[in-house]
This record gives sequence, structure tokens and C-alpha cells, in this order.
Amino acid sequence: MIKVKVKYFGRLRELLGVREEEYNVVDETTLADLLLNHIPSRHKDSATDWKESLFVTIRGEVAVDKNGIPVLKNHVILVRGKTQDLTYMLRNGDEIAILPPVGGGANED
Amino acid sequence: MKIKISEKLDDLSDLLDEIKKSSDEIGSIIIFVGSVRGISNKGEKVLRLEYEAYEKVAVKTLENIIADLKDKYGIIDAVIEHKVGSARVGEDTVYALVASKHRKEGFESLIEFIERLKHEVPIWKKEITEKGSSWIENI
Repeated sequence: MIKVKVKYFGRLRELLGVREEEYNVVDETTLADLLLNHIPSRHKDSATDWKESLFVTIRGEVAVDKNGIPVLKNHVILVRGKTQDLTYMLRNGDEIAILPPVGGGANED
Repeated sequence: MKIKISEKLDDLSDLLDEIKKSSDEIGSIIIFVGSVRGISNKGEKVLRLEYEAYEKVAVKTLENIIADLKDKYGIIDAVIEHKVGSARVGEDTVYALVASKHRKEGFESLIEFIERLKHEVPIWKKEITEKGSSWIENI
């Protein structure tokens, strides 16, 4: 088994009601598996909002690109501080941060 | 270079003194102060802003931005402080200072600094108004 930590920020943290949590997953689990299956399974009440916040959806279904990879909606996924695509295979001890579109600075503009 | 993400910003005059001391080649220091506006873009009365950050990545990103600005504009030094947590109307939330030999590269680099801060650094802002709340995304 592989143990990973997932960190949430902004609207996603608010949606799930948690800042970070751990997941135990089997070998060869990808980021896409984590985001599309493991996290929604643990947060069933928020599963639909989660998928619609994170992914491009068409009539409620997550859209995929020509390679069959789900299409993220303006979010960045960092693993150990580096951007990874959804085919990345999780490694034991990974810290995964799911970043909504940023919005720092003042509200001056 | 000084980068700080904190619930409490340092005194601006202390930051100015500090950056002045970093080199005797400095002839210009441009300062940006971001503060909480009392009326939202929708015209609603703002009660407060709430900020959160992915701090270790935010600091690293800001380090990279400052390094880029030094390469591109030849600035001498820069300081950035950004608030996290709750901020009331009128409260300062960002201090950015750029020190350079001449004002031109100082102004140009500071504009780029703030634009990149808003679009690249993992800091999120929630605006709470008298009519509700929403996350503000600079996209």
C-alpha cells in the first residue's frame, strides 16, 4: 500500500470541510484515480460539486481528452511541490496539493 | 530579499530602512501597498477579506519571481510581505518594495511583480460582503 497526504485550499477546502487528509491506495494508483475515485468516495455528500469544481464536465460527466485523460478546470495539482499531470503514479509519502485558481493581492482591481 | 507570509505584516518604515541598507547603489525604491477596499467590484459593502496560502510553495514562487525580476530589470533587491487570515476594510494586506539604481526599472518591475503575485502565487482570497461571500480568482 501507498500512503499519501492531500492538501486542499480555498473553495475546495471549504467544500470538503478539511485542510488535509491521508489516503492509503494500492500500487499504480494515478492522480486521476485519486481525484476521480478515492476523494469523492470519502466525501460522498460533496462528490458532485467536487467533480464539477475540479473537472470540465459535459452533461454531468467528466470530460476526457483524446488520450482518455480527464480535463482539469483551471486547477493545478502539485506533487512534492511540482506540477504533475493526472497520469502521474502516486509514490509513498507524496504530498499532493490541489490548487484552485489563485487570487492573492489586495482587492484593489 | 525578504519574503514573509504572515498574519501580521511588519512596519512599512522598517522594511524601507532594511531594503535601503542592502546596497549603496540604490537610487530608487518603489513601494506598493495593497489594502482592503470597502466596496466590492459588484458594488457591495465589504466586511472583510480572508486569505489563505500554501506557504512553502508561495515562498518558493516569490523567490523565483524576484530572481526573474533581478535578471530582467537589473533591480538590486525586493521585499514582499503578504497577509494571511482575516483582514478588515482599510487594513494593509500586501507590501512590495523594489530597490534599483533608477526609477524606470523600479516602476516596470514592480508592476510585473504584483501581476505575477496575483496570478502565480498560491494565495487565495475570500471576500465577505454584507450580501454573502465568494472566493476571488484572478483568472
